[in-house]
Amino acid sequence: MSAVHRTAPADAILACEGLSKHFGGIRAFTDVGFQARRGEVTAVIGDNGAGKSTLIRCLVGVHQPDGGTIHFDGRPHPFSNPDEARKAGIETVHQNLALIDELTVAQNLFLNREIVRRIGPFALLDRKAMKTQARAMLSRLSINVPSVTQRVRRLSGGQRQAISICRAAGSGAKLVVMDEPTAALGVQETANVEALIRKLREQGVSVILISHNFDQVRRLSDQIWVMRAGKMVATVRASETTGNELVALVTGAA
Amino acid sequence: MSLPTDNAPAVPRAGATEESRPSLAALLLDPSFWADWASVVGLVGLVILFGITQPVFLSVANLQALLLAAAILVVLSIGQTFVVATSGIDLSLAAAVMLGAVILGLVNAAGWGVLAACLLAVLATSAIGLLNGVLITAGRIPDFVVTLGTLSGITGLGLIISGGEPTMVGSTFLLKLASGSFGPFGYPVWVAIAAVVVAHIALYHTRFGVHLLATGGQAESAAALGIRTNRVKIAAYTISGFCAGIAAILLVARIGSAEPQINTSLLLNSVAAVVLGGVSLFGGRASILGPAIGALMLTALVNGLTLLSVSAFYQPLAVGAIVVLAALIMRYQK
Amino acid sequence: MRIFNGLTLGASLLATIISAPAYAGDAKVAAIVKGLDNPFFQYMQKGIEEQATADGVAVTVQAAANMGDATGQADKLTAMAMQDYDCYLTNPISVSNLVQALVPVAQKKKPIVNIDSTIDAEQAKAAGFAVSTYIGTDNVAAGALAGEEMLKLVPKGSKVALVAGIVGDVGSNARIKGFKQAVEGKLEVVVMVSADWDREKALTAATDILQAHPDLAGFFAANDIMALGVERAVQTSSKDVKVIGLDGIVDALKSVAAGELSATVAQYPYVVGAMGVEACKAAAMGKELPANVPAPVLLINKDNAEASLKNFPRPGGDYPDPFREMLK
Repeated sequence: MSAVHRTAPADAILACEGLSKHFGGIRAFTDVGFQARRGEVTAVIGDNGAGKSTLIRCLVGVHQPDGGTIHFDGRPHPFSNPDEARKAGIETVHQNLALIDELTVAQNLFLNREIVRRIGPFALLDRKAMKTQARAMLSRLSINVPSVTQRVRRLSGGQRQAISICRAAGSGAKLVVMDEPTAALGVQETANVEALIRKLREQGVSVILISHNFDQVRRLSDQIWVMRAGKMVATVRASETTGNELVALVTGAA
Repeated sequence: MSLPTDNAPAVPRAGATEESRPSLAALLLDPSFWADWASVVGLVGLVILFGITQPVFLSVANLQALLLAAAILVVLSIGQTFVVATSGIDLSLAAAVMLGAVILGLVNAAGWGVLAACLLAVLATSAIGLLNGVLITAGRIPDFVVTLGTLSGITGLGLIISGGEPTMVGSTFLLKLASGSFGPFGYPVWVAIAAVVVAHIALYHTRFGVHLLATGGQAESAAALGIRTNRVKIAAYTISGFCAGIAAILLVARIGSAEPQINTSLLLNSVAAVVLGGVSLFGGRASILGPAIGALMLTALVNGLTLLSVSAFYQPLAVGAIVVLAALIMRYQK
Repeated sequence: MRIFNGLTLGASLLATIISAPAYAGDAKVAAIVKGLDNPFFQYMQKGIEEQATADGVAVTVQAAANMGDATGQADKLTAMAMQDYDCYLTNPISVSNLVQALVPVAQKKKPIVNIDSTIDAEQAKAAGFAVSTYIGTDNVAAGALAGEEMLKLVPKGSKVALVAGIVGDVGSNARIKGFKQAVEGKLEVVVMVSADWDREKALTAATDILQAHPDLAGFFAANDIMALGVERAVQTSSKDVKVIGLDGIVDALKSVAAGELSATVAQYPYVVGAMGVEACKAAAMGKELPANVPAPVLLINKDNAEASLKNFPRPGGDYPDPFREMLK
């Protein structure tokens, strides 16, 4: 087990130092240092209420930290809203997936970044291009859905999660943040999503993963960060740790 | 205009070449097919029924008159569709038509010219839509309450500025608009056709349209993806107000005067047409052709029953029965 | 599938509803009246239909969905204009809403009989036609009749209050105007309120007025429904205040007979409708129609209320009818 780094490695896509966030008198976390390396899957684990979801929300612009610094891709940020973070290259896969049931797969994949053709003063959707690109995005990640013109309503939970991840990865994102991506899925669907995350890493996309599932974290991630009671207490290489050690770190028994 | 679209209640799709397409027989056995096409099936059914029982119904003159009579309702149904697509409802629609008509009449009577009068009428009704939208989003008041409030407010405003008196509008421009025709259709029919085309493009071929459906479907998810759902809703209500203004012009042209009387059947029929058109009242699923055909169907129903000399007492009953039947069929919509 | 079932069901329903023309007479008349949601227009319809049967005329009566349905009424008339009727009996919602729909009728040179509410002559002229005849009640005269009765009921100089219909309604304005003209300088009108033709609103308004003016001697309401509401308020206050209504509906006649309402001025929509049919028949026979025919108006008080009730919806006595003379 190594101590928590205070200095960012040169290949960090995202690095923060001394980060803290309070909601009124309630302390979400204080003095957190954290880094995610380029091209790696970085996991954040911790018990409920440890502060990991709030930390992630600060990283992607939903909340603004009260103190500390965040660097993304070598430049200082904080983002004042998720849209800015998105434009900078951080995509989030929300826990509620943020899919629109009544829209098609292709429409969801391009939601709020639709491809348009300009005709005079008018901008009309280029639906053909979006469908074609949607198919390409899905096949690149080997995601199987019946048709890109299928309404999302008719898809299974695993397929929806896959569409959500595909949307996050598909926009040329540098970093994809996932909050409990397999929490609501069955065994087979979980395996599919894990394969998808590996595929993302193969393609050089950096991933931050929040999970409760220590086995999954050890299977999927390169570096694991542990939060406990609003503090970043440890970081380990996934290959050098065991499930028991992670449990001990999370519960504070070590 | 391409009829089948991603969100239109249409089953076949262009461009879905490599994807499987259900056979025609399977399609006809699928209740959701009938749900999706309810308004078309209903219209065709009515045309056949009335055509057999009363040959005058299919005469060119009657069909032209029918389309002319449907123009106002078609325009209003389009406005209502945009609002319903955001899972809202605009109860102030018929009142906005009344106010638009009154303003048109008064401005025209004041000698500003009929074009300025029409423009001001549309501006006023659009402003009402904007106000509805702002109150609903920024004020966080339910759509039902806000539009009910503006319904009453506009009614009062219309009575106040008109003094409760009808105003004659003897404009040759409006008379031409109401009675003139180009090709097979009267001008009001062309106005309605133009409204359908523009609205269809806006709904299916612009970013706004997709964002509208996303806002109506799951507003929170849409917001999480950076869609400004409040702006989208305000735009939808403004469009509804704009349509009310166009309808007010057609109305004044048709009856030759601006009256501070609200025609509640316009409001009820606009909602009925939207339901008949397969638009989900819970938002997120809409089409333009559906409600337009629904409006045609309602007009054809009254026209046919009139030609058949069915007592006026039975006509609202027939409309009500058809709307409820349509709503039942919608339950099979997938 | 379902929709087809629904359609067949609808078709069989239709077949039972559609009444074949009751009488294969020598003239076919199309009538369009205002909303049938008001007994006034139901009596008018009854008058039209009964007179048609009596005269051997086939008639079809259509109506607007409600009193605000100006375009719907025009649509229905347009549909009827497609068909082969010999005469068009019209009671328009507004002075202009039927003008355009009547253009094809005028082009076919069919007579247009205007009843009850007028069609604007200027607009008709601009559209290229004129109505053959107008039959209606003079609301100013009816209001004046009510005013004269009030003068008989209360001492000179007494205070009276007026309850009008919807603000700006032409009929309401004319009735109030007639009443005011009749009592001008003889009675003091202390207040006028609008109760939207509504019984409950009239009751509330009258209660307030009775509080504000304890020495009030009489009320005039622009229709019977409101008069009955006012009468209820007067009863509750147990004051002796005279109430006069206008229309002559059954409830008002009963109330007059029972000594509650002091009087009402009866108009006869039944007669207006019946005279319209007579006018159509006369026109079909090639007679020249008079331009303007007043329909009867009758003051009903305790003396003649019973007789009026017995004859309802026809008048209690005979009335002048130029068309009847023509058809002889």
